[in-house]
Amino acid sequence: MSQVKTVLLDNEAVQALADPGHRKHRQVIAVVEALAARNLRRVGSARLVVPTAVRVEAGWNRRSPKGAVLNRLRVGDEPLDGDAANRAAGVRAALAVSVADAHLAATLAATTKPHAILTSDPDDLRRIAKHLGVELAIVTI
Amino acid sequence: MSRDLERLLDLLDAADEDTAGTSIRLPTNLRDAAVVAVKLGWASSTTELTVHGLRYALEAYAQRAVLDAHYQAHPQVRPDLAEVALATAKIDGSALAGRPDLVRRAAAEVDTVTDHPTPDDVLIYAAGLAAAVA
Repeated sequence: MSQVKTVLLDNEAVQALADPGHRKHRQVIAVVEALAARNLRRVGSARLVVPTAVRVEAGWNRRSPKGAVLNRLRVGDEPLDGDAANRAAGVRAALAVSVADAHLAATLAATTKPHAILTSDPDDLRRIAKHLGVELAIVTI
Repeated sequence: MSRDLERLLDLLDAADEDTAGTSIRLPTNLRDAAVVAVKLGWASSTTELTVHGLRYALEAYAQRAVLDAHYQAHPQVRPDLAEVALATAKIDGSALAGRPDLVRRAAAEVDTVTDHPTPDDVLIYAAGLAAAVA
């Protein structure tokens, strides 16, 4: 076991983090706290990222006042550029997952490992991790 | 959230387009280590290393400050040390994620051996508890 470097958020994790009234907000905030504690001791040790396709699915517009909490918590975008789109298309063709989940899969290749993901749908993420042959800490929220 | 913190966050979110010359006094050993790091190909320049280091540090302080401001507005959502330690175990894929009882006990006891324990301190203590009962 080694310390996580990149934590990804799925749609529901984004929804939970955005809304302090969401029943899973405290659970997701605990993960942000965990990363904040690590980064204060050793700067740049872990990142919290959201693939932009997930952001679309979750309706998170960084220019909207409704996204203020998320914007301020230092959650980074992972863009769906040409390379990521090719990787995501391959995963979608192989596993018939959603576009957002396919972009999550592509993000695993583009960001620093070890990875963890906060998700309400662990089964699809297990399939993706198995398909890619990557180690992934799947945290069910 | 204070106006200064808002301003800092806006600056961190802005694109790194404009640059400014600045005079920073660096310890010579650190400056020389940065030069060697560039020679080793770890970074393209000592400026890049300095900028990354500064950005990472500011991001870390800002994230802490934003969380504290969030709890001022919503005190009920602040997780306790055991919750954060358990979250840490889960994202690390640690076996301790499956032992919330040990993690909670460790969080309750760890401040007897260290001041201001971190979530990682809790997990180390919990690992010790797990080893003791094994």
